[in-house]
Amino acid sequence: MELTYHQTLDVKGAKCPMPLVKSRKAITELPVGQVLRVIATDRGSVADFQGWVKAAKNVELLAQEVVQENGQELYVHYLRRTA
Amino acid sequence: MTVAELQTQAPAVTASALYDALLNNTAPFILDVRNPDDFARWRIEGRAGLTVQNIPYYDFIEDEEGAIARVPADREVLVVCAKEGSSQYVAELLRARGIEARYLEGGILSWGHLYDTRDIVSASWGRIVQVARPARGDVSFIVISDGAAAVIDPLRHTAPYLEAIAAHGARLTHIFDTHVHADHISGGPALNRETGAPYYVHPYDAIHPIDMLPATIAYTPLNDGQTYRVGQVDLRMIWYPGHTLGQVNILAIAPDGSRYLFTGDGIFLRSFGRPDLGGRGEEWTPLLYESMTRRLPPHLTDATLILPSHFSTLDEADEAGRVAAPWGVVRRTNTSLAHLESAEAFRSFVLGNLPEFPPQYVEIKRVNIGLRTLSEAEAEELELGKNVCALAK
Repeated sequence: MELTYHQTLDVKGAKCPMPLVKSRKAITELPVGQVLRVIATDRGSVADFQGWVKAAKNVELLAQEVVQENGQELYVHYLRRTA
Repeated sequence: MTVAELQTQAPAVTASALYDALLNNTAPFILDVRNPDDFARWRIEGRAGLTVQNIPYYDFIEDEEGAIARVPADREVLVVCAKEGSSQYVAELLRARGIEARYLEGGILSWGHLYDTRDIVSASWGRIVQVARPARGDVSFIVISDGAAAVIDPLRHTAPYLEAIAAHGARLTHIFDTHVHADHISGGPALNRETGAPYYVHPYDAIHPIDMLPATIAYTPLNDGQTYRVGQVDLRMIWYPGHTLGQVNILAIAPDGSRYLFTGDGIFLRSFGRPDLGGRGEEWTPLLYESMTRRLPPHLTDATLILPSHFSTLDEADEAGRVAAPWGVVRRTNTSLAHLESAEAFRSFVLGNLPEFPPQYVEIKRVNIGLRTLSEAEAEELELGKNVCALAK
């Protein structure tokens, strides 16, 4: 998937809730309209990010994908700050 | 908002301590912080009166004030999430506001894996041990007498049985499944491989009712009326078709004359096993009626202790955690049995009260007779949540 993003947050190895806590902080520091790419290894982040953006006022989930890297699955989320 | 890595001060509660609290009706307010989809799939259930609330952990990250305001400030709170990290995080936030919050160690996964082992009967001739998996409402048994042990309806993980049998200095001699289960993966074939003890199943259940394919696992066929001896206890097989074609009830008769009926998914304490999980509810309902009104009653006395393999609600367990009651009590308190007065009344009651048919139940039966092999993760996923083997109340 080719999506434009402006910043990457690597939370590989971080367990719930840290991928989401750190993404929230990074989004808040991002200029409005920009896209954050989050790379996580926590499988639960897929459903949790989907739920989170419904509760969040200024975050849009553009896409999610699963990528294989060195035998482990990476869960990649693309988030845009909307306001 | 702080983003420091978690240094939790909140006290942990183990799954086994939670179970004791649920049985004693002393459980705190449960705050489940998983996402709403996971919460809808399954959750911690207790006796009537238990309060469980779902506020996803990201609500606390997004709007800390607003989320905390939704939690009762004057109650002890047990925070639960999938594995435990988010529950620690939320428990810390609550404790900072003076709320007495703890978290469930290992998350709801550890609750799902909890096996609870306790004696149902202890007598001079031996004992009956109940092994339950409370999150699923699954119950199984070990009959131990004179150094011999029979397991009945063993659940997927074999260690709890082998440990209990070893703790009583006994040896596993018989493995019974009252029927081939649809809701959970049986531990029977694995116990057979691990110990060499024979695994007994009625031959009618060794054919998948929907695929019409025969079992590939090793099993020993059991028959109606057959009796097996375990130490001083006789185990009599009573064919009880209806929930499956080959279901049996197992009547244990002890030397002191006491009688214990392992009903499997036959009669439960508050309901009875549904006849549609083989895909032929219409055809099997009359068989079930025959089993309940003709095949089983000659074996029942009011003092016979009914020991079913499921409960639908924890209120079916007494304070000591026993899911058991004498037939004299069950026949009066199990209101679903009032519909047995005629075959027609029974038929309309049964067919009008069938719960949803979980699609994974077809696959679980395949696994149980060896038509499918699963990884641990797949087995875990397939067994998620509570059984729905009983007719709706």
